[in-house]
Amino acid sequence: MTAVDHGPTPASQPAGTSLLPAPTARQLIDPAGRLVPAGGPLPEADVLRELYRRMVIGRRFDAQATALTKQGRLAVYPSSHGQDACQVGAVLALREQDWLFPTYRDTVAVVTRAVDPVETLSLLRGEWHCGYDPYQHRVAPQCTPLATHALHAVGLAHAARLRGEDTVALVLVGDGGTSEGDTHEALNFAAVWQAPVVFLVQNNGYAISVPLAKQTAAPTLAHKGVGYGMPGVLIDGNDAAAVYASVGEAVARAGRGGGPTLIEALTYRIEAHTNADDATRYRAADEVAAWQARDPLTRLETYLRGAGLLDDAAAADLQQEAERFAASVRERMNADAASDPAEMFAHVYAAPTAQLIEQRDDLLADLRGLGDDDDA
Amino acid sequence: MTCWPISGGLAMTTTLDHPATAARSAPAPVTMAAALNAALADALAEDERVLVFGEDVGALGGVFRITDGLAARFGDQRVFDTPLAEAGIVGTAIGMAMNGMRPVVEMQFDAFAYPAFEQITSHLAKLRNRTRGRVELPIVVRIPYGGGIGGVEHHCDSSEVYYTHTAGLRVLTPARPADAYRLLRQAIASPDPVIFLEPKRRYWSKDRAELTTSGPGIDQAEIIKPGRDVTIIAYGGTVQTAMEAAQAAAETGWDAEVIDLRSLSPVDDATLVRSVRRTGRAVVVHEAAGFCGYGAEIAARLTERCFHHLQAPILRITGFDIPYPPPMVERHHLPTADRVLDALARLQWEDQPDERWLGAAEDPAGADRA
Amino acid sequence: MSAGWARPRTLRARIVPDFLLPDLGEGLEEAEVIAWRVQVGDQVAVDQIVVEVETAKAAVEVPVPFAGTVSALHAAPGATVAVGQPLISVDRPDEASGNVLVGYGTAGLSSPAGSRRRQAARGRGGSGRGGSDRGGPGRVGPVPVVSPLVRKMAREAGLDLSTVPGTGPAGIVLRGDVDRALRARRAPQPDIPEDRPPAPAAPVTGTRIPLRGARKTMADKLTRSRREIPEATVWVDVDATDLVAARAALNARTPERPVGLLALLARFTLLALRRYPELNARLEGDEIVIPDHVHLGFAAQTERGLVVPVIRDAHLLSTRELSAVLAERTAAARAGRLTPAELTGGTVTVNNYGVFGVDGSAAIINHPEVAIVGFGRIIDRPWVVDGQMTARKVTELTLSFDHRVCDGGTAGGFLRYVADCVEQPVTALGDL
Repeated sequence: MTAVDHGPTPASQPAGTSLLPAPTARQLIDPAGRLVPAGGPLPEADVLRELYRRMVIGRRFDAQATALTKQGRLAVYPSSHGQDACQVGAVLALREQDWLFPTYRDTVAVVTRAVDPVETLSLLRGEWHCGYDPYQHRVAPQCTPLATHALHAVGLAHAARLRGEDTVALVLVGDGGTSEGDTHEALNFAAVWQAPVVFLVQNNGYAISVPLAKQTAAPTLAHKGVGYGMPGVLIDGNDAAAVYASVGEAVARAGRGGGPTLIEALTYRIEAHTNADDATRYRAADEVAAWQARDPLTRLETYLRGAGLLDDAAAADLQQEAERFAASVRERMNADAASDPAEMFAHVYAAPTAQLIEQRDDLLADLRGLGDDDDA
Repeated sequence: MTCWPISGGLAMTTTLDHPATAARSAPAPVTMAAALNAALADALAEDERVLVFGEDVGALGGVFRITDGLAARFGDQRVFDTPLAEAGIVGTAIGMAMNGMRPVVEMQFDAFAYPAFEQITSHLAKLRNRTRGRVELPIVVRIPYGGGIGGVEHHCDSSEVYYTHTAGLRVLTPARPADAYRLLRQAIASPDPVIFLEPKRRYWSKDRAELTTSGPGIDQAEIIKPGRDVTIIAYGGTVQTAMEAAQAAAETGWDAEVIDLRSLSPVDDATLVRSVRRTGRAVVVHEAAGFCGYGAEIAARLTERCFHHLQAPILRITGFDIPYPPPMVERHHLPTADRVLDALARLQWEDQPDERWLGAAEDPAGADRA
Repeated sequence: MSAGWARPRTLRARIVPDFLLPDLGEGLEEAEVIAWRVQVGDQVAVDQIVVEVETAKAAVEVPVPFAGTVSALHAAPGATVAVGQPLISVDRPDEASGNVLVGYGTAGLSSPAGSRRRQAARGRGGSGRGGSDRGGPGRVGPVPVVSPLVRKMAREAGLDLSTVPGTGPAGIVLRGDVDRALRARRAPQPDIPEDRPPAPAAPVTGTRIPLRGARKTMADKLTRSRREIPEATVWVDVDATDLVAARAALNARTPERPVGLLALLARFTLLALRRYPELNARLEGDEIVIPDHVHLGFAAQTERGLVVPVIRDAHLLSTRELSAVLAERTAAARAGRLTPAELTGGTVTVNNYGVFGVDGSAAIINHPEVAIVGFGRIIDRPWVVDGQMTARKVTELTLSFDHRVCDGGTAGGFLRYVADCVEQPVTALGDL
């Protein structure tokens, strides 16, 4: 096993100075679609095109999921419309051996990571708490508690290092989630252990209805990194190129044994918390409009068209591909989910106990009796 | 230092019991702390995926020395100290288990586990179920629990029912040194997450028994003293109390059967039911508060399953419904052998009803008071 | 019809559920809408007919499986709808929450109480309910008893706990109280201290047949009878020639409704009981209770052993009716089809042991009755008629009776009357 230094931060990073974020958020492509050279080298053209393609599909999928909720096909859907650059940019920066630890809002990221969309929606449909195999695409299950998954990511990454494997864990967390104790503990453990973890905070300004100002008094969330001894990076979260580049650099650094990074991505949640939320109660319409003008898809499209990397035909193709994707999801979601009550008892322990078997058999006998009545 | 009394009913070996092995010396006495230490060492040696971590478990060897010598022997990548953060300890253990390791973590004292409560109940207990069995968490959370060591504020809780009430967790608690070795080895080998409650006041009890994994299974209770007249059910720290009571009860003419539950969840219904259907009388002894305590579940289950064999109600001898008291009055709170005997006397021998609750509904115990 | 919509067990709650056209007959694929019975905006109730459709097989009225407001009709009259396609959409009723922040909401997830047929407690543990366990007037709820075990003891012995004085504190009924009450129900005898059973001898070799189930129950009953009842037996030989002839004449007249000998004996017994009702009584504590009905039990031999079916209100049946019921009950007993209700509650028993080829029987009274009447085989025997020795069809009648409820005069009178009916069936005419 590779030696893991459980001691203090290595001397190569003098305490304090390089850990603070830059004064302005890193940007490679501005809202108008223009290149920002100060942001650093742009990703390759085919990467940019892939970023755009996946955002188009992701945006269409997000809209489809919202529609499914209105049709009663999903119980709830927390939309990431507006956060597309983070959803796509961060995931595409991961290598195959890396792990994604999403929150309940990061459904587009999960789908972008190639998890089957219907399996992904299993939780929100209410068919099962997690419909996909985490090991298939290395995506941890989504769940309701916030920030608890950050510790799981740190543990998983640490175990990889103990075994000499190059695996980086990407943790997605919201601005609200950074107040949770588990976020603090995860950042601390990751830094003390120099675990290969990248923490990406999607700061969309609100935790349901509670604005950032009530969540923290820190100058930025990225500033918190120095408190743990890890670099804090501030980026424009609506710039897919910046997200891709920053996450990619952090992943590479972690993979080299350089330890964790805290990235704060400034973005906005265009939709309400979920379909059952009324965002007009706490946000002004002009604030939303201002952020719509900074839409991640628009700016990348503008840049790509300007650079001759996207034309009408290609754009139309992408729209159709997105439509086909959404239609496929729609059709598959129209079929009734097959729920088996016996399954409630199957995965409590590795093997069901005698008491669980008894309870299951009681329920099944009840249901058979009920079925007999129906068939009478 | 407490020794297990040598009597015919106990599962112990002595040179007298096995004359054929007289040539071999009897096993040296071993404390529960040493037995647990041996279990950790053997598990670490046998399976390189096993990790041991927590606060002060490395160089110090743990505040109760349960992990003594392990860091030196296995290195600080397998046995190490963490930052002071219980949620972090359990949460990172979950991530390590997701990535193929078998963490054995320590919560320094019973009540210190509360910050980890969310990780334990929301994830440790649920991830297998949440993922239809694809994620397996073979994690052991060791927690020294219970009172009787004169511990000051917050060090003596007995929080087992929070965990037994959480589906998906195994909750184990050894009462005797040799069984502690067996049970901890079984816990570490189990594919399920285990809350392993160690009765800290028994850390210094001694056994003269082989440390072996053969014996009762991980979900089995053990009849450590067979008897005919009444079943005394106990676990962890109160098993010794139960044995003391059983020995005293013999003088009154009651032949008590003592059961060490070992596994609180899942519980060994079959052993309990067989016993109580035979004896017709049962009591449960535990340190934790009686209200909504573990004894309530046992009493309910046994009443359901043994109703037609019961000669008397099932009584519980427990701590009071109070926050754990200070050391100077602790002895009034913890169940003693005398309190167990008082309860045994109320079991309607000689066709005498239990007079405790003969008062009116508004004041059920009123009939008893002057 | 099989449901084409979500089966009740899948929790698919929708804001506006579609009712899909179900398969209205085996393997149906489509149907034509003939006429709608509702329109958009109407309130509909569960199972209300909403549309009439025509299938390849018939015209069918289709009920809607949920309640609410019709929000859409998905096919016009004359249109064809495929099975599984939406037919009608119905808005949820207002009491539901609608979609909530974290889920589908309250609608559609519960079924009304009572929508499941519950198994009635048919005799399952039913004997514990009702009067025998409750206190007397003024006492509310079950009698306090020292333990469930002792309560069960009392119930199995048919002991009414409200009649048992409880000597425990606060009047709790103790085991000793129940023991005493049970002993008091037996024949008045001095208290006999319970003997220790002698040490069991070495087990006998040979075949072992366990005494279980119905056999055990009957064995216990017979033991109890002999233990508790001070019985005496009277018997008389009778000339049954005229009865046999009378029976033949009856059956020749209406062969489709035959009358058996047991039925005739039973009928005579019923007539005799009118004159001597004490033999239909029972002892309750210190009282002889004479009911105003006769529930007649008769012994029937089956593969499973002796069984005593009971004919309720036998005193109301004619001889032919009695005969028919006897035959039917005997067949049922042999087939094992009798219910517990049909095997209990008798007030007197008749017994034809002549079928075994014997003449007399000191029969065991069917506790808690007080009399059992029987007759043996009918064979030719020497008899004196008008001073001349001749062969007549002779049988022996017996009566075993509980001597506590009557004396020899009553018992003898009863038996003599039955004998008179047998010897001169016309005698019975006077009492019909």
